[in-house]
Amino acid sequence: MGEENTFYQEYEIFSKRTPNSAFQHQFSLLAPNEDMALIMAQENFMRREPVADIWIVNRKHLKRMNADEKRTLVRLENKEYRTTKGYGYLKKKWRQYEQEMLDEKEILSWGGERK
Amino acid sequence: MNSDGNLMDPEYKEAVISLLFQLADDDFLYSFRGSEWLGLAPHIEADIAFSSISQDSMGHAAMYYKLLEELGAGNADDLAHYRPAPERRNSILTERVNGQGYYMETPHFDWAYAVARSYFYTQAKKVRIDSLCESTYKPLSEVAVKMRMELYYHKLHWDTWFKQLLSSTDEAKKKMEDAIKLVIDDFGDVFSYGKQKQQIESFGLIGSEEELKAGWKENIEPLFASLQLKVPAIPDHPVKNGRIGEHTRDLEEGLSTLSEVCSADITAVW
Amino acid sequence: MTNANNTTEEKQLEQFMQRIEAGDKIEADDWMPDEYRMTLIKLISMHGMSEIMGALPEKEWVPKAPSLQRKLGIMAKVQDEMGHGQLLLRVTEDLMKPYGKNRADLMQDLFNGDLKFHNVFHMETKTWADAGIIGWLVDGAAIITQTDMLKASYGPYARALQRICAEEVFHAQHGESIILALSEGTEGQKSMVQEALDRWWQPLLMFFGPASKETTGSSKQDLTIKYKIRTKTNEEFRQIFFDKYIPRILSLGLKIPDPTFHFDKNGKLWMYEQPDWNEFKKIIKNQGPRSEARLNLRRQSYEYNSWVRDALSASTS
Repeated sequence: MGEENTFYQEYEIFSKRTPNSAFQHQFSLLAPNEDMALIMAQENFMRREPVADIWIVNRKHLKRMNADEKRTLVRLENKEYRTTKGYGYLKKKWRQYEQEMLDEKEILSWGGERK
Repeated sequence: MNSDGNLMDPEYKEAVISLLFQLADDDFLYSFRGSEWLGLAPHIEADIAFSSISQDSMGHAAMYYKLLEELGAGNADDLAHYRPAPERRNSILTERVNGQGYYMETPHFDWAYAVARSYFYTQAKKVRIDSLCESTYKPLSEVAVKMRMELYYHKLHWDTWFKQLLSSTDEAKKKMEDAIKLVIDDFGDVFSYGKQKQQIESFGLIGSEEELKAGWKENIEPLFASLQLKVPAIPDHPVKNGRIGEHTRDLEEGLSTLSEVCSADITAVW
Repeated sequence: MTNANNTTEEKQLEQFMQRIEAGDKIEADDWMPDEYRMTLIKLISMHGMSEIMGALPEKEWVPKAPSLQRKLGIMAKVQDEMGHGQLLLRVTEDLMKPYGKNRADLMQDLFNGDLKFHNVFHMETKTWADAGIIGWLVDGAAIITQTDMLKASYGPYARALQRICAEEVFHAQHGESIILALSEGTEGQKSMVQEALDRWWQPLLMFFGPASKETTGSSKQDLTIKYKIRTKTNEEFRQIFFDKYIPRILSLGLKIPDPTFHFDKNGKLWMYEQPDWNEFKKIIKNQGPRSEARLNLRRQSYEYNSWVRDALSASTS
């Protein structure tokens, strides 16, 4: 059964819908090598959507987290100092100076045309 | 040249129709044989990928039959399903069964033959489509441009299978070489234009048989060189020339399956 | 086993069941009791292989399909079935990792008869109307069980089912399209549909499995419900199928081939004559009309072309 093991290697498939989208994970397939995985990827998982690019990654190249390691991902919810939630009081402050607050909506609109 | 059959020079129109039947019947039969592999490929993921190529090819056949319909040759579905073997213009390569014992309960479909046939067919299709993109018959050049987009994948797919099997085990190499021989034996009529050759070529509908053969050879030479194999020679005289209606029993059996349901009632709508 | 070990295992099981009750999703790397793993492997491998084997009766209709569009439609549908099989086998393969089994083992289990597939795919397909009935009613039946399991406790299965259910919508419409064309066609076409329905009626009833394990001696439904892989019983699924499809079947002028069939307003249940469950038992043991032939076909092709897998195993990257 040795040779059957190397024929059935596990590949994770990632793709971009359009040239400007981010890569997203699709699914996994079995293939003997990368080139084979590549010629099977789109037809297996993306038959009904546009595809601009594909990444093939053999599972053995992925670093995964076990249950213990996943515990290192937990954080306390006491970090208002780095979110806008912590600065909501500014709205009232600026009113005293007859100014509006620069919130997320306002600041993200600055990339557009000058008003 | 537009598709208004009335304004077209009758000789030109006849040449266009003749060529279109060859192109349509080729893809139709190629796709039919490909679809027989559904559920039976040596690997499930590969089965799924192969199926897309069969679908694309059937789609190409449908486009050609539609052009024929627009020229008044008949209804596309009727042209695909009802024309008997002597009227078919496909290369015999595309009509051959997929393996031995085909007509028995559990036939032996040969993957080496599937890959070899598909590789050589796709390489030939590539040179033909590239040439058709310059066809003087505009409706045909337009569909060729569309088909060329899908051929990139077909070519990558079959090049990969062909190359990988031929550079693996001795057993695989032997099976592939045997399959290549079978394919080449039937390759003699692929680039032929049959009785209308002179008109088809002189009207600029597609490049000449000789040009295309040379282009095909040039395209596959690098791969064969890297595999340390000789590019096989296309037989000078085809064993049977499908372009003039010479076909095998394989085609007759295939056609009877293809028309089995609809010929039970040719007036019915399905 | 020391007492300490027992408590740990018991505790894990207790926490696991709490997760299930809370509607948590279990993932491939999570701890799970053997019973849960085995239940999933049996269910999902059967589901996956049913898709793979189901491709064989349907693909017979690709060459015979009576128009270019119908040929394309069936090719696309069969491709989807193989695709569904692929997704489900991948989910199964990840579950089987602790047992050291892989795709090759699954294929062997199928050929040995250790891996079952749905009764409907053991049946003959005689006419073009069968292709329509399969797309319309067999896929319809599958949609009913599959949409329930979209909420399954096992994450990978639920996610695979999302992809699958999205494609089933096209299958249902493709099947309806065929049946409607026939129902609005010639007398020959209309009677073709009725004849096909007559033959498929019992297999459709049996698709959902027996109402209770007394009928055939075993039933997976208790375990799959306990672990929230599904929420309804076999009989509940069958009743929903009737709710959705009986009105449509009758609306086309078709007759249900069961003279006792009716809706009981009091119990709010569809009443029907039980299919032959002994026949079902035989079919599931690969003694159905086409079981042997299809398994042989699949096995032959797999073994005859094993040189392909051997060849490419030698050249890995």
